[in-house]
Amino acid sequence: MEYAGETLWLLPEHALWWPTRGALFIADLHLGKAATYRALGQPVPAGTTHENLHRLSCLLTHYKPAQLVFLGDFLHAAQARTASVFNALASWRAHFAALDCVLVRGNHDNRAGDPPATLGIRVVDEPFLMGPIAACHHPQLQPGHFVLAGHLHPVVRLRGPARDHMRLPCFCFEERLAILPAFGEFTGGWRVEPQPGQRLYPVGGQAVWRLPESKNTF
Amino acid sequence: MSGRRNPATVAAKKALDAWFLERGWKPFKFQKEVWKAIADGRSGLLHATTGAGKTYAVWLGALMAFMAAAPISRARPAIKNIASTSGLARKQASTMALTVLWITPMRALAADTLRALQRPLEALQASAAEEGGVTAMVAWSAGVRSGDTTASERAAQNTRLPTVLVTTPESLSVMLSRADAREVLGGVRMVVVDEWHELLGNKRGVQVQLALARLKMWASTIPAARGSLPPEATRSPKSGLVIWGMSATLGNLQEAMHTLLGNDEGVLVQGKVPKKLIIDSLLPSRAERFPWGGHLGLSMLPQVIEEIADSSTTLVFTNTRSQAEIWYQAMLQAKPEWAGLIALHHGSLDRAVREWVELGLKSGKLKAVVCTSSLDLGVDFLPVERVLQIGSPKGVARLLQRAGRSGHAPGRPSRITLVPTHSLEMVEGAAARAAIAAGHIEARFSPDQPLDVLVQHLVTVALGGGFLPDALYAEVRGTAAYKDLSPDTWAWCLSFVQQGGPSLAVYPEYRRAVPDEDGVWRVPDARLARRHRMNIGTIVSDASMSVQYLGGSKIGNVEESFAARLKPGDCFLFGGRLLELVRVHEMTAWVRRATGKRPAVPRWNGGRMPLSTTLADAVVQQLALASEGRYDTPELQCVRPLLEIQQSWSALPTPATLLAEVLKTREGVHLFLYPFAGRHVHLGLASLISWRVAQYAPRTFSIAVNDYGFELLCAAEVDWPTLLPQVLKAGAPRLIDAPGAGQAHDDWRAPAQEIGGPLLHEVLASLNASELAQRRFREIARVSGLIFQGYPGENRSSKQLQASSSLFYEVFRKYDPSNRLLLQSEQELLAQELEVKRLAASLKRMNAQELVIRALPRPTPFSFPLMVERFREQLSNESVADRIARIVQQLEKAAGALPGEVASAMASSTAQEAVDSVRQTLAFGRDNLANPLAASSKPRRERRKPSRPLPPL
Repeated sequence: MEYAGETLWLLPEHALWWPTRGALFIADLHLGKAATYRALGQPVPAGTTHENLHRLSCLLTHYKPAQLVFLGDFLHAAQARTASVFNALASWRAHFAALDCVLVRGNHDNRAGDPPATLGIRVVDEPFLMGPIAACHHPQLQPGHFVLAGHLHPVVRLRGPARDHMRLPCFCFEERLAILPAFGEFTGGWRVEPQPGQRLYPVGGQAVWRLPESKNTF
Repeated sequence: MSGRRNPATVAAKKALDAWFLERGWKPFKFQKEVWKAIADGRSGLLHATTGAGKTYAVWLGALMAFMAAAPISRARPAIKNIASTSGLARKQASTMALTVLWITPMRALAADTLRALQRPLEALQASAAEEGGVTAMVAWSAGVRSGDTTASERAAQNTRLPTVLVTTPESLSVMLSRADAREVLGGVRMVVVDEWHELLGNKRGVQVQLALARLKMWASTIPAARGSLPPEATRSPKSGLVIWGMSATLGNLQEAMHTLLGNDEGVLVQGKVPKKLIIDSLLPSRAERFPWGGHLGLSMLPQVIEEIADSSTTLVFTNTRSQAEIWYQAMLQAKPEWAGLIALHHGSLDRAVREWVELGLKSGKLKAVVCTSSLDLGVDFLPVERVLQIGSPKGVARLLQRAGRSGHAPGRPSRITLVPTHSLEMVEGAAARAAIAAGHIEARFSPDQPLDVLVQHLVTVALGGGFLPDALYAEVRGTAAYKDLSPDTWAWCLSFVQQGGPSLAVYPEYRRAVPDEDGVWRVPDARLARRHRMNIGTIVSDASMSVQYLGGSKIGNVEESFAARLKPGDCFLFGGRLLELVRVHEMTAWVRRATGKRPAVPRWNGGRMPLSTTLADAVVQQLALASEGRYDTPELQCVRPLLEIQQSWSALPTPATLLAEVLKTREGVHLFLYPFAGRHVHLGLASLISWRVAQYAPRTFSIAVNDYGFELLCAAEVDWPTLLPQVLKAGAPRLIDAPGAGQAHDDWRAPAQEIGGPLLHEVLASLNASELAQRRFREIARVSGLIFQGYPGENRSSKQLQASSSLFYEVFRKYDPSNRLLLQSEQELLAQELEVKRLAASLKRMNAQELVIRALPRPTPFSFPLMVERFREQLSNESVADRIARIVQQLEKAAGALPGEVASAMASSTAQEAVDSVRQTLAFGRDNLANPLAASSKPRRERRKPSRPLPPL
């Protein structure tokens, strides 16, 4: 995938890999969402935080990035700031101590607060400029930069022969903007209707797929 | 009255007899029977046809009994003394405490019921004032408490409830959750459940059963202090609470009574009032060749108008709210001069609008009202002369109920006319008549141990004064729904409200009800308490938006999902008017009147009722007659050309044969099967059969069902003539092991096991491959309080609830697979949605039938409605990658004509390259991450040509 003169890899693990800079981007982790629900009196089983971090660790082990950029919504809410979430985070961070972590603040982070300083995550406001690329949380255009964003949790609905249909998370690319699917497991999705000039890349079955550009196929 | 000559009793009887005579009525035998039973302090169930006078049977009986028991002449001065000495507000002191609860299933009925109750009460009080005899009744007051009760009235009731309270199951549960519940409700001596047949078969009925168990317990332990029933009643060994149910026609009345009364004995009183019933059909001049499903039948409009014009007042019943809107509009267009004379009534209209229509019906001012099941229940509309039923009545009992809306007074005939909306429905008319003549009427059963309702009840009781687990367990076991509740399951429910489940580790930070130092379970968190009270109830509805004129009045509610699809300037039909959406603001759709534009009609996702077995069987009987060339009734005569086409192109289903049709189209291979078992069972059968076929090779099926049969559509070739006979046989070979088919939890599902055994496992496995259980889970999650519905008026969309509940489902399945609510959603799906008993019976019957497989050159009259059905289910055990590959391939093909990147890319890579590179992509993904999906993916087939994947740059 060539954008802004750079090669970007769309990974089926809901992440984006930029080999030249050794940077890995993930959006909308929403850590501690289940804990937030429990604190509000709704019994959601524990386990999603560990699972999220485990998937992240697998990615990091494989690509060995120099830099990991969170495109916003790292913690779900203030109630997510529990000991169990922070302990899990701390032990995860200890495994990848050398990694440079950057969090671009999103709407949830504004309310949930920054992660504790002990985690060694740099926290910045959008846009976070990295050469030709601007890392953001809210989808937007930045003159002179190609924008990577999250926030929407895009999913697409596919229709196939014999009235088959599926709902899949997707990457959503425009000329100067790419929206990543949510990385967090216990997060919902927002259905995108394909627009002209937009390319959708659904993720499913351990692969990223390219949809042909056509208005009347949906 | 049993010979006791209490002066108060005599006076009361005299006053009530006079009141009856004034109206020119004479008590029926069944009314006298009920009066006597209540006087003896017995409970029971009264069954009588609508309009026979059930309300008066129970209510007058209660009045007489309470008067007989009331302390006579001393009552009044005593109250006066209290009033003068304590200086309490006069109104408060002069009324008796809550003694009789009257439970009605619909809020809309409450006001009418109250009026009906007040009339004889006022007559009694008037005569008492004259004679000075029955003073106790003067202190009686009556009131309503329901979701419609205003805040100020509520506040007044909070200080003092009336003596007779008309309420709904939900409002009763909310009262049970008050901290002073025992003080307020402990004095209740009699509970009357109106329209019990409406509650019996669902969770609201279970809610009533639990509430009754609680009231019974209080009534039997508190010494009767105030105006109690005669000594016989209080001496009754079991309880001091008298319970009466009223029910319309049901196939299992005895069981209905036992469900209501729990373990107690009761009297079943049958009201046999001779009532003439006429059932006929409006027949079109010719049957259309293709009977469309979901067609609204407007071609019958001229005939319907003619019928309405010829009668004084007509009720036009439709099966859905959208259908009602469309019919109302069409009638107005055809007869503009009827504006103001015809009206529309359905559950989404504003209360004020509905009340205006009901009033107009009662006074006879309206010529016709187009309505939905919102007018099914027992409001008396004496002027109604005829009832028209648009579309299938779905069941014999329902047809009788609706027929009873006309001639709603003793002695007058009821007449219902069926208006078919598609040709095959004409057969139903003839079938319904035959079923009624043969006395075949549906039965209804209480849900078995719905844990979500129990969990909700536990928190309710913990709020309403707290509970001791052992005592509550015994109390809950006293209800019919939970009589077999095992100690294990009980312990699970307790631990669920306490800490989310048996293992603390799974749900840290969570707690709802906990025992205090005395071992009494209470809710410690005031915020949770408030939230629980807001969410009491078992009806799960979609989020709705109110519709309101700009600067004007409210018209009603539409579902949020519908409003979300509209843009400002779009028009829609609602409340019988053409409206233009101006803007949406904070859950209100602001509208103004519109003219001329083509409108959209709102859709409401109400449950689609299945055709009952009773009626379906009757339909097959009629088809069998037709297959022998016997077209005796006018309905069959009319549909004859269509049935003859079906017979010559394929065959007619009969009780002895099972018809299967196979058709190949561009879409794929269609199988049509007609077991005539109702849409719910068909869904289960369709899942089961497609699941069994998919064991031979991974497949994706699209499933469409209607009340007559179902369709399985598959993109790949399926050899139905060979496979179908095999898969219909129980215990088909298992070529692939069912992944995660829930073998872990057989123990507590034991009762269900007896029905199906291996069949049950198979159905469950097939469900795992579909989204059905997930949808069911939404209701359970909501009732048990897993999901918070939001405060009234709060700007929170329940689209979020829907999204959350599917998320919840996934998370539960992954991290707490033995959660019993999750298991309940599966079990309930089996028992209710798919009616697994009926399914097993159908399967058995289908195996006994002779299978007739026809290959079709073109769709038949029976298969056509299924082919065009848009609402479909899906079942798949193919790997996600396979399905995406096929979809993308089709999209590529569709886009292939376009110039540009895709086309050239396709040209440059051969099919084989494409297959290889897809493999590489997949391999790349699998190597790196252990993904749960990997386990379910099957060996890929070469036949498909997957699309060009992303070039790994």
